[in-house]
Amino acid sequence: MEASGIHRFPVGPLIRCGTVELDALEKRIAELRSEIRATKAAGDHATVRTLRAELRTAERAWDDALEPEPEPAKAPLLPVREQVHQALTLLGVPTATKMIVTVNEAFFAGHITTSQLTSLRRDEEKSFRGSPYARPYYLCAALTSELLSPARGLLAVSTWPMQNRIIGPLSPRADFLTSATRIAEHIMRLTGAGEDASPSAYRLLTRMAQNIPGAVDGFDQADPTQVIAAAGAELAVHEESDISHRGEAAQRAERQLNEVTQLFGAGLKTARTA
Amino acid sequence: MTRLDTLRGPAEPLDHNARTIAALAVNPGCDRRALLDAAGVDKQKTAVHVGFPAPFGQSPFAITRAKSFDALVKANGCAHLLRLLRDTLDLSISEASYADISDVGGNDDHHVRHTRTRALLKRAATDGDGAGTLFDHPLLKLTVAGHEVYLEPAVIAFQIEGRFHIVEIKSFAVIDDQADAGQVAAAARQSAVYVHALRALFAAEGLDPERVSHNVVLVCPKDFANHPTATLLDVRQQLAALERQLSRLPRIDRILDELPLGITFDLETQSPDEVSKAVATVDARFAPECLASCEMSLFCRAEARDNGSTDMLGRAARDELGGIESVPAVLGLADGSRLPSTEQLEIAEQLRYVRRIYTEAVA
Repeated sequence: MEASGIHRFPVGPLIRCGTVELDALEKRIAELRSEIRATKAAGDHATVRTLRAELRTAERAWDDALEPEPEPAKAPLLPVREQVHQALTLLGVPTATKMIVTVNEAFFAGHITTSQLTSLRRDEEKSFRGSPYARPYYLCAALTSELLSPARGLLAVSTWPMQNRIIGPLSPRADFLTSATRIAEHIMRLTGAGEDASPSAYRLLTRMAQNIPGAVDGFDQADPTQVIAAAGAELAVHEESDISHRGEAAQRAERQLNEVTQLFGAGLKTARTA
Repeated sequence: MTRLDTLRGPAEPLDHNARTIAALAVNPGCDRRALLDAAGVDKQKTAVHVGFPAPFGQSPFAITRAKSFDALVKANGCAHLLRLLRDTLDLSISEASYADISDVGGNDDHHVRHTRTRALLKRAATDGDGAGTLFDHPLLKLTVAGHEVYLEPAVIAFQIEGRFHIVEIKSFAVIDDQADAGQVAAAARQSAVYVHALRALFAAEGLDPERVSHNVVLVCPKDFANHPTATLLDVRQQLAALERQLSRLPRIDRILDELPLGITFDLETQSPDEVSKAVATVDARFAPECLASCEMSLFCRAEARDNGSTDMLGRAARDELGGIESVPAVLGLADGSRLPSTEQLEIAEQLRYVRRIYTEAVA
């Protein structure tokens, strides 16, 4: 009963009122104090308890109003697909959802989760089928080089050249090296501009560098220039064969596939769009 | 529709995996397990249906852990795995090709996947360098008890200098270069199944089966971190044991011939009673070890107890008792209340001798 009594007084809406409303709150607190004294003198203990609870709420609201405005940036500024696009543009290669989430978190302070990305490709495909090219870009599939079917778990951007969206046998490794290079370059851009990348960005780079020969010593934090050099050296080994493979498949894709399957892949089974 | 499909009913057949084949090879004399597995019957559901749910199976936590570690090792084009293989087997930098056969163009039909596995592996084996290094989720086929089964693999086949290795990813930790012996033994048994199946595939393609190495690459988390490490595991012994056991497995056709016609383990149309009766028509060979590896074990144990079978005393005791199948028979021979047949004369004499010592000791 008492708990419900608290809400009779309209203090709640005053809580997020900012500095302008401090006066109103102070007035309300003074009123409540005198009211409590009067009620106490009258011996109505039940009402005294309710009023004191109300007073405490008002005082807390007054404290909160003194604090600076909470950062509204916690709420996502960009829709999920924009955030994914941002991460993919940084990486520049078809990427698995987990990596997209990590990059988004490390560089764009985003808060997307992998589960938000599960149906993304399907939604994009539906949208494209509904009204083709209505959006400036689509998040689409990477295509396997042999069958031109959608590669499992990878997202790409429709505006990239077809060749970049093909996954040949060497492409997973080449793309991994490219993305490590792109991340290192981005960290250097940030430090060059006088900012510093977040610790999670360095952690990500270090983790990737540990799997590139010569990119990092032991468990130290990776150095971007060293990573770029090491990844470049390994990439040079794979590049020629990978690019010729991708180029050939890209030509085949452009010849054989229609505009929907060029983006979302052909399969032995019809696309799972149900 | 084959006889085995009739036995299973309309349900989808369950795949064999290395775990089930390793378990089958541990108890080769069990017709029941051989038949249920060959027919692809869901033993877990059957056991629940007949009222003996097995407190058996992998913990969901263990499965999640195994999956996440597996994903970690294979992330970013097998980045971790390539590092490990370069360190342990001196894989050259240029060999980094990766092919995923978990589906073929979005089609995960077994037949299609198996055909593709064969094609890719054959090409890698005949074309030499640059024709493929890592093959994820190859779908292998194995003849078990005269019946072909697909083997849903959780491994990667890997080629270096024309030799193929199996890569097994396990989530138990290797601490200070030591791992739990039981876990390693189980991993070795399972890897042996894959090596065997891969060799069978090579033989079927007219390639030398010896090109599949008996050294398996075992990838585990190192120490207390989640950082993968790799070791080579020699599975020659397990392989020999598996091959011997598989060759001894009773032929499924022979078991089917002995079954009455029209019998089925279909869980949808049959009542629990009918299913228990149907299952009981197939001979089982229960041993206490079954409790650790077979979903039907509690059913078989109850059956063995009801029959007073010597099976439940364990293999050693059963073998000591020289072919006498029930406990009352053993006791009867020991106290002389039952007359031994000619082939039981020797064991009966021994039993009476043991009984005499026993009664003297407890008198």
